[in-house]
Amino acid sequence: MSQEGSCKSEEMELANTLSTHGESKGGVLAHLERLEIHMNRSRKKLEEPQGAQALGSALGTKIQKLRRLRDKLRAEVKQRQAGVKASTANVEPDQTLDMSEQEVLERKRENLKAILQAYRFTGLSGKLTSRGVCVCINTAFEGNLLDSYFVDLVIQKPLRIHHHSIPVFIPLEEISAKYLQTNIQHFLFSLCEYLNAYSGRKYQADRLQSDFAAFLAGPLQRNALCNLLSFTYKVEPGGQSFPFCARLLYKDLTLTLPTDVTITYQGMEALSTSWEEQRASHANLFRTKPLHQVFTSFARKGETLDMSLVS
Amino acid sequence: MDAGLAEVRALEAEIAALRRACEEPPAPAEDAAGGQKSFQEVYQSDSGGWESLEDLRSHLGHLESELLFLSALTGINIRNYSKKTEDLTSTEMTEKSIKKVLQRHRLSGNCHTITFQLEFQILEIQNKESLSSVITDLNIIMEPTEYSELSEFVSRAEEKRDLFMFFRSLHFFVEWCEYRKRTFQHFKEKYPEAVHLTEGASSSCMGVRSTSQPGFELVIVWRIQIGEEGKVLPKLDLLTQVPLGALELDKNRVTETAPLSFRTLLGVLGIEATLESLIKLLSTEAND
Repeated sequence: MSQEGSCKSEEMELANTLSTHGESKGGVLAHLERLEIHMNRSRKKLEEPQGAQALGSALGTKIQKLRRLRDKLRAEVKQRQAGVKASTANVEPDQTLDMSEQEVLERKRENLKAILQAYRFTGLSGKLTSRGVCVCINTAFEGNLLDSYFVDLVIQKPLRIHHHSIPVFIPLEEISAKYLQTNIQHFLFSLCEYLNAYSGRKYQADRLQSDFAAFLAGPLQRNALCNLLSFTYKVEPGGQSFPFCARLLYKDLTLTLPTDVTITYQGMEALSTSWEEQRASHANLFRTKPLHQVFTSFARKGETLDMSLVS
Repeated sequence: MDAGLAEVRALEAEIAALRRACEEPPAPAEDAAGGQKSFQEVYQSDSGGWESLEDLRSHLGHLESELLFLSALTGINIRNYSKKTEDLTSTEMTEKSIKKVLQRHRLSGNCHTITFQLEFQILEIQNKESLSSVITDLNIIMEPTEYSELSEFVSRAEEKRDLFMFFRSLHFFVEWCEYRKRTFQHFKEKYPEAVHLTEGASSSCMGVRSTSQPGFELVIVWRIQIGEEGKVLPKLDLLTQVPLGALELDKNRVTETAPLSFRTLLGVLGIEATLESLIKLLSTEAND
């Protein structure tokens, strides 16, 4: 063990504690270091010449006494520092109790946070705010998770909407007038219905435009609410079939399937029976299946081309 | 002599310094360990600072009220949720800046007395323009209940991978069931002699017997159906049990037209009033 080293480290600590008194660290430390060095030199000097020893016997005793005192104090300071740690150690059993209560509460909090996150899978989730509540409505169509919208409600009499991200063509005013004041749940579920249906219609129209552009003989005409679609299509992309004009009207805004389907054809001649049949079956398809699925079935049928239909 | 005195002075100085060190109170950081338990300062790594137990408790309280609100709003009580994520991005995809992640979710809870366990997978594909999230698999386990209508509905929801519809319809279905139970129970209590619930309060049938004329019975069948699109609708029907003799006397064929009249009455009076009027029809105790 390097005596000097350990002394130095003690002195460092001393210096640190002393520096809180406003004394400059460098000053005290340097001072102590100097004393140390001085002391060592003095000790060496004392130990060498025998002559000097006799002279300072009284002094020598004093020195010894002082040394003993100093060593004692050094040990005491050391003990104090260790002692504080010991007292910390003594508190530890209680500390572990608090730690485990804290751990329990923390785990509970993490669990709660996760569950709150999971509510988005029910379609409705939200957060409490200082004013009331901010509800988040999630939309989906056929397993595809689509856009979310929010409604920030202020809990006051009367209940009012502070802020929202509902598109302007959704009849929010109408729905609020009917339900907001009497039944928040009904209000939100109704909004859910409209928004999910809108999201679904939009998804179908988007998919038609992106995936089946080859079947369209012109641009897809659509309104913002996606409840009126008009397009000209062919059963085979760039094939020999007649182009049909389809007009899909979704009168019921809570549905993703059209209520009215009109299929006409651009042409002057009367349609042959087979084409008439096809027209009728298409109308039925559009009424009962999502738009992009209808075209998927066209694509599949196209793979087995019936030559008899080509006039 | 000088050396000795010098040493004495040095020692004295050191002793003085040491004495001061002994009087110095220990550093505050170490002292906190002996402090009060309720204000235990512990380092909270995610909140980025020191958080007391008090803060933790109040935050928990806030989260609990949020949970209460959501469970009241949706009618669904989620008790457990866990999620695992798997990165399916290949090196080819990374080059095209496409990211593919598969999430596995596990969720369990209850809606009134019905418990459910869901496991579903969501595939997330992120490319330069957009992010697509698709539910690729949905498995629903329901605690076996007396509600047979549910099993068909559950298979449909799984097939369509329609998570939202599952929860929404489940909520409405359970609400209707509870309403039916309450209504039947109410009538049973009000007219204990006339009303019979063959399968108990959760049954879908309520029998009304005439106390004065044995042999006459009306059975109201109240089914709760979940349609293709997830719409929950009550469907009520009337079955009549009339002795043959009475049937012969029934010139106006009231018995035959009863089921139809029942439906009309429902539309006019609503469920409760219709049931009450039927019971009053047969029961003398009601007419007392």
